[in-house]
This record gives sequence, C-alpha cells and structure tokens, in this order.
Amino acid sequence: MKHAIVGTGIAGTLAAESIRRVDPNASITLIGDEPYPPYCRPMISMLLEGSIPPERMAIRGANDFRSLNIDLLTGERVSLIHPKEKNLETAKGKIISFDRLLIATGADPVESKADGSHLRNIFTMRNRRHVEAMLEVMPEVRSSLIIGGGLVGLKAAHALNRRGISVTMVEKLDHPLPLVTDRKCGYAVARSLEAMGIALRMSATVAAFEGNGRVREALLYDGSRISCDLVVLAAGSTPAVPSIKEGRIRMGRGILVDDFLETDEKGIYAAGDVAEAMDVISGQKKVNAIWPVAAEQGVVSGMNMVGRNVPYQGAIGRNVVRIGDLDMLSGGLINPPPEGSYEILENEDLRRKTYRKLLFEEDVLKGLVMLNRIEKAGVLLSLMKRRMPITVSKERLLDPGFDFCQLLPGMQPSATA
Amino acid sequence: MKQVVIHPERCVGCMQCMVACATAHSKTKSLPGALGESPLPKPRIHLGTGLYREGFPNRCRHCDPAPCMMVCLPGAIYREEVGNTVLINGEKCINCATCAMACPFGVIRYHEDSLGPPGKAIAVKCDNCIDRRARGQVPACVEVCKCGALTFEEPSSSFKRKTDEMARRVSAGAEERAEVASPGFVLMNVLKRAQVELSGREA
Repeated sequence: MKHAIVGTGIAGTLAAESIRRVDPNASITLIGDEPYPPYCRPMISMLLEGSIPPERMAIRGANDFRSLNIDLLTGERVSLIHPKEKNLETAKGKIISFDRLLIATGADPVESKADGSHLRNIFTMRNRRHVEAMLEVMPEVRSSLIIGGGLVGLKAAHALNRRGISVTMVEKLDHPLPLVTDRKCGYAVARSLEAMGIALRMSATVAAFEGNGRVREALLYDGSRISCDLVVLAAGSTPAVPSIKEGRIRMGRGILVDDFLETDEKGIYAAGDVAEAMDVISGQKKVNAIWPVAAEQGVVSGMNMVGRNVPYQGAIGRNVVRIGDLDMLSGGLINPPPEGSYEILENEDLRRKTYRKLLFEEDVLKGLVMLNRIEKAGVLLSLMKRRMPITVSKERLLDPGFDFCQLLPGMQPSATA
Repeated sequence: MKQVVIHPERCVGCMQCMVACATAHSKTKSLPGALGESPLPKPRIHLGTGLYREGFPNRCRHCDPAPCMMVCLPGAIYREEVGNTVLINGEKCINCATCAMACPFGVIRYHEDSLGPPGKAIAVKCDNCIDRRARGQVPACVEVCKCGALTFEEPSSSFKRKTDEMARRVSAGAEERAEVASPGFVLMNVLKRAQVELSGREA
C-alpha cells in the first residue's frame, strides 16, 4: 500500500508514524514545501525572541524518518492532486502516485488589505521562513507594530519586546485575544502586556502603511499615525487547501471530512488546520486550527489510512498562553451567543489572582476561561470532551482544588457499606 | 510488569506519600536535607479531596497512548519502554502548559525542579521513581504508605483481589457474615461523611 502525506506539520508527521506502527511494509512518502524537516511551528516565536537555536525546533531526530523507512521530501510544493489517477504533481514536476492520501497542508496567514502592504519589512508570521526573514532585518529595527491581538500577535509582541524593540499592538476589538477569551480575562491580559511595556491600541484598525520602499509609518482609521520599521501581520489564518483536479471533495472553510477524517473522495483524508472536522461543543463541523487538534487528527487519520477504523472523537478548541506572570487558559464555548440558554458560573479571587468562568448547558460543561492555577484544566476539558454530566454541585468545579475523584460514584461512602 | 496501584478506599489522607515523593526527588534524598534545599523539592503525587473529605492519591497513570505526549510541542515527553514510564525531558521542555490541557487526571505541575535544569520552570510529574527502581527499591510513595492505599504489584493480581472481594460480598450468605472488605476505612469514611452532612454544608 502506497501512502502519500502532503504537509510536514504535526498532523502529517504523526500520521506517517501511525501508519508505520500498524504496517511495517507500507510505502510512506511525506512531502513538505518548506526546506526543513518537520519542526514545531508554535515555537517560531521563540526563534524570533532568540531564546532557542533553530535546531531545537525539530520535532524528530535527524535519522528518525530514515529509521522508520519514511520517505521525507522537503522543499517540494504539491501543485496539483489528481484524485482519479491517484497521483499528485509537485511544482518541480515530480509525479507521485498513491493508494491513500492525507492532505495536511495547514493554513496560510491572512494578508493585509491596507494600502502599502507591499512595502518592505511587513511580514506575516506563520512559519520558520517568515521568522528568518524578520531576523534578517532585525538589526535595523527599533520599533515594531503588530496587527492583530490574537495568539500569534501576542507571541510576536512578547518576542520582540524581549529583544528590546518597542512594540505597539493594534486590535480591532476592545481587548487582546478576543476569540479565545472573555472581556474580563482580555483586560487582565492587556494590563499584563502594558506592564511589560507593550503599547496597546484597542478598537483600532490600520488603513495604510507608508514609507519609501520600506515601511516607516502606519496610518489608522482614526487619523492617528504610528511610526514603525517592522510590521507583523497577525490577523488570523485560513486553510491552505491545495489544488485538486475535478474533485468531488466538498469544502467548507476547509476540507470537509467525515467521522473517520476521510473526504468525499475514498482514500483521501485531511487532518490539521486544513480540515473541517467534527467539533464537540457545537456538534457541527468546524476548523479548529490548533496544534493539539492537528496532533490528534494526525494520529487518527494515519490509523484510518492503514485500515483501522478509528472514529475521531471530535475536536475542542482550547488555548493556553503564558505572558509575564499571567497564565490564561480557555476552551470550548467562550463568548456564548445571546440566544442560547447557558448557565454561567464565575469566581474571582483577587488575593490568589485567579479567575474562573464555566459555561454549562444543562448538566454538561461547554466552555471555560481561567486565569492562573491552570494546572488541572485538563480534568475539566476532559469532562467537556466526553460530554459528561456533572452530578455534583457545579460550584465545585470553580475551585482550583477540584479533584475528579469527586465525580467517581464508587468513591462516595454510603452508610450501608 | 509491576506498577503502582491506587486503592482510594483505603486512603486516610495523611499525605505521607507527598512528603516521601518530594524527598525521593530531592538532591539530598533525606527529609531534613530536602527541607533546606533550594528550590524546595515538590511532590509529584497529589492528594485530592473527595466530596466528603476522603483522601485520593492522584498520580500519573503513564497512559498508553499518553495524551500529554501526543500534544507536547517540543517533543519533550517520551515513553521509557522498559518500565513503561512516561517521562519529561526538562532540557527540552518549554513550560508552555499544553500538556495541562491534555492530562485528564490533572497531575502535571509547573515549577523549577530540584533534579531539573537550574533556574528554569518546567513541567514536572511522576517518573515512577525510575532512579529508585534502578537501585532495586520500590517507588517512594508505596514504601511510605501505611494503609495499603498504594501498592506496587502486577495490575492483574490487584484486579483479581478486587474481583474476589466483590464476589464474596455478593455470594449467598454474605449478609449473615456482614463482611466488609476494609471495615476500619469504611467506618472512617462514614464518619467523615456524617460530619460534613451534620454540619449542614458541603466540604
């Protein structure tokens, strides 16, 4: 059986390894357009900060793929997939045939529509090459501007701040991390960023970049100007769907996959940031572009490609950020739609600097936001994932000391024992 | 292969396992010595509290497949195959807490570790006392447990004991004998529950 995997991110890498674990004889080709062997994409901000050398980013040893007999092709962009002929073409003209294909091409950064986006020193930050390009111009950079207060923007701001470069962050909404946290937590994150010396411009949008060849200034819609000699565009990402010839493959935002991560085309699977798979919280298909989901889908898709029928249990969006002395963690539904009937419990402890918000639909936990004391969040996320009804008083879950043994029926001593 | 098995119904909540664990993972390996160390050694086993203040020793299950290992960003979490132990490489760990979102038991903590790289906070969890095992000793939490809440044995033999116990209790004539597996512990937990209920509020 010939397996081709497009994309050398965590989904592709784990899929290749899963296939090998089950089938020692399968032919496996792992194809990536980046020139490096698989590396940890979330760690690019550490490369920007200069806190790790590039070689620390590799997620596998130099000989791991060879010893597993996985054919690793780097620097090869797949230009076209032929589902009928069961082969794919690379930009360099190579034709690779397959019996099973995994599309794990990840996501591309959203480009800026503002005037002057073509100027030099305006970068997106999605992969290692983007960061290396930033590092090349770093000696001439004194002040930087981050467009977007999401996770990537936050990590870029933190990294540049640690390099001693002045940082201004512009965000459309009124607090950072608008998609992964609530207002209260967002404000706490904002205070933490400001304490580090990062200037925030919330509820603001950039209209244009100006400069002579190289960016010098950004013009905001409110008429104010921010001078900068480096811009990081961190305004989100969009699934990097490859070209597929006369496919019957249905698309949503990403490539739609069934409960086994298979597309409408038999034998072709998708996983990671490019896939639109079942989401546990909404009960609908959704792109959850986060590393842990890509990892899970990589393993599951690999198992299915090799013939094990492993249903995907569904994704839960979840994120954790550590900035300064602040730990922020969230998962599931964070800012519920007004029409839903949700029960929301909140607890803030100013002395311990903790905050927790839990969102329930009837007896099932559907979302959480927490500041500090995050170490046991996995217990709550696991309850969410298994849609487990909470049989004890829900307030207990607000306590950072909450232990899952309180939910074990056998644990409660009865007077008749 | 022998493993640490938890018998929560026998836990009295004395926390000696935590002290023994912190000591076993200190530089000096002695309690008086450990107390003077910096950073202060911390336990990798944690005492949870049940609904009625019963103790519950909570430690890493070394799951297979391990969810923490699958999501680890820098690939710092790995499995040591011989002892079937999930370990964290402190040099590689970047303290990102992605594993905190993955562990369904909530047993990973984040701090500077006595045995880890100095001055760096990392993810820390049970290592099955891999050093003690190499010297032929049992894990420190098991050695110190006075109540039999933690045992080091073949999981199959522990399951068999549980099954036998259950079988005896439901067999004919069991009521006359009124056999309870561990009467002292049951009495203690019933008292704890009564205390909580009489006080009119939950623990």
